[in-house]
Amino acid sequence: MQPVVEFANVTKSYGNVTAVDELNLRIEAGKFVTLLGPSGCGKSTTLRMLGGFEIPSSGRIMLAGKDVTRLPPNKRNVNIVFQDYALFPHMDVARNIAFGLELQGKSSDAIHRRVMELLELVQLQGYSRRFPSELSGGQRQRVALMRALAPDPQVLLLDEPLSALDAKLRQQMQIELKAIQERTGKTFLFVTHDQEEALTMSDTIVVMNEGRVEQMGDPKTLYSRPQSVFVANFIGDANLLKARIVGGDDTRMALTWNGTPVEAAATGRRAQPGDPVCIVLRPESIECSTSPLAGANSIPGKIRQRVFKGNHTSMLVEIADGSRLMALVHPTDIDSLSGEDVWVRPAGA
Amino acid sequence: MRNMFSDAPRAALGACYWAFFLYLMVPLSLMMAMSFKDANFVAFPIGQWTFDWYVAVVQDKQFLDACLYSVLIAAATTAAATVLGVWIAMLIVSVGPRGQAVLFALACLPAVVPGMISAISLRIFVSEINLPTGTAAIILGHTVHGVPFVVVMALTRLRSMPANLVDAARDLGADSVVAFFRVTLPYLGPALFGGMIFCLLLSIDDFVRTFFLGGYRPTLPMLIFARVQGGMSPEINAMATLVLVVTVSVGLYAEFLTRRARTR
Repeated sequence: MQPVVEFANVTKSYGNVTAVDELNLRIEAGKFVTLLGPSGCGKSTTLRMLGGFEIPSSGRIMLAGKDVTRLPPNKRNVNIVFQDYALFPHMDVARNIAFGLELQGKSSDAIHRRVMELLELVQLQGYSRRFPSELSGGQRQRVALMRALAPDPQVLLLDEPLSALDAKLRQQMQIELKAIQERTGKTFLFVTHDQEEALTMSDTIVVMNEGRVEQMGDPKTLYSRPQSVFVANFIGDANLLKARIVGGDDTRMALTWNGTPVEAAATGRRAQPGDPVCIVLRPESIECSTSPLAGANSIPGKIRQRVFKGNHTSMLVEIADGSRLMALVHPTDIDSLSGEDVWVRPAGA
Repeated sequence: MRNMFSDAPRAALGACYWAFFLYLMVPLSLMMAMSFKDANFVAFPIGQWTFDWYVAVVQDKQFLDACLYSVLIAAATTAAATVLGVWIAMLIVSVGPRGQAVLFALACLPAVVPGMISAISLRIFVSEINLPTGTAAIILGHTVHGVPFVVVMALTRLRSMPANLVDAARDLGADSVVAFFRVTLPYLGPALFGGMIFCLLLSIDDFVRTFFLGGYRPTLPMLIFARVQGGMSPEINAMATLVLVVTVSVGLYAEFLTRRARTR
């Protein structure tokens, strides 16, 4: 299938600083795709290049099979939801949403119908005559979203649109955004530095770092099979153990950690016996017990810290080589782990 | 006693203010009072009050003609200065910081050049380009003087404008011209309106430039000047009072409107 968006070897540099470095990216139509990375990783620049607000230093950007690399923003069929919404303060909600439609030369009847339809989609029917200054943050967010969706863009670009909202509203909007994306069937390209946001909404996450794509895949794959230490650390909490490869195939690997043989699932990256690797242990997939656990990977340790978090307790366990592991313990299990000595084992290994 | 002493600076501050207030108001009040006096000379007590002078003023063809002429010139000046001022303000925000400083200084120059110098240089200039003195020359002179005020007002507002408003308009399909007229200009609206009123009042008030650039038809300040040379009369007081009331009302109303628009 032809991708709706394709970046081919796109580089953007400002003087000596390279914001985006030889980026190759293909985005399928109808998907909720998130560019995730720390600030300065090039994700916003990538978005702005697709929007037409930055011209790549080199490379090509294709939109639905058409080269748009050098087209101005008003000549390409993508719309942005800006971080601070950028609603026009002198226009009411209806006129804000109608703005793009009017410029497409639609009849006032068609515009009215479309505006009403969109307001209904976000349950703001009674608000069409309000001005942006008379709306709450969440309502402004919805209006900005509808204004960008109104002209029926091929891709909707969202530039950290939830960062100005408080935590509760943000979670609510995440679910609503995903629902709107599914209902409209539009391709959403979402930019964020918040891994939780990315995991909640995305079909595909593109993790970016220093202007490059670190890894691209669905949330589950990224979480369970991170291909780099950066991805492992950026998405969720990770315990990292340095080990060496002994052998194995594409799915499972035999490793040696601190002289102890361990088995782990492979990430799919090619490696030779003897190569150094990092084992990623998610805190919630560590089993704890006061007695040695059955199976290969049982490791003795000492509990150094317990932090009660309500629905779980997070425990800091120091193991033989001095490294510390974070483990999440279910409330029903915590009482049995009263002493200092503990055995830990990766669950399911 | 102690209390009074510690409040002395505050009392002095208050006294200064009221002294200033009197200094401002006494001459104006005197002029207004005399415009109602039923006599040909300035003196107290007023004795007999009358509206005769106002009746005379509104029936004075020369006065009405001068008013109309002043308003026409002010309107043309304001229109030209607004277009130029907004243009320059847009240019200023679009260049780098060093360019901004230079352009801004140049744009503000007409506001700080002494009126007399500006008037003489303009007079030399119009005769050099063979522009006859009169309406066009006056408008030219007033416009040059009005532009900096529009620039300052427009610039202040432009700098408070979120950059991505224009981006949003462009993103939704507007080219830069449409974005300017549909987003930037309405956003400037309230500030621009204030600048325009200021321009209007500056033009109506201007004497020096008009004196050097004018033809035979007098503007209001020129008419009043000509009359004063023939000796002060209560009719002039009445004229001046009318001008004062109208300009103050317009100024206050404009301030009220811009204030309301800004709080939205």
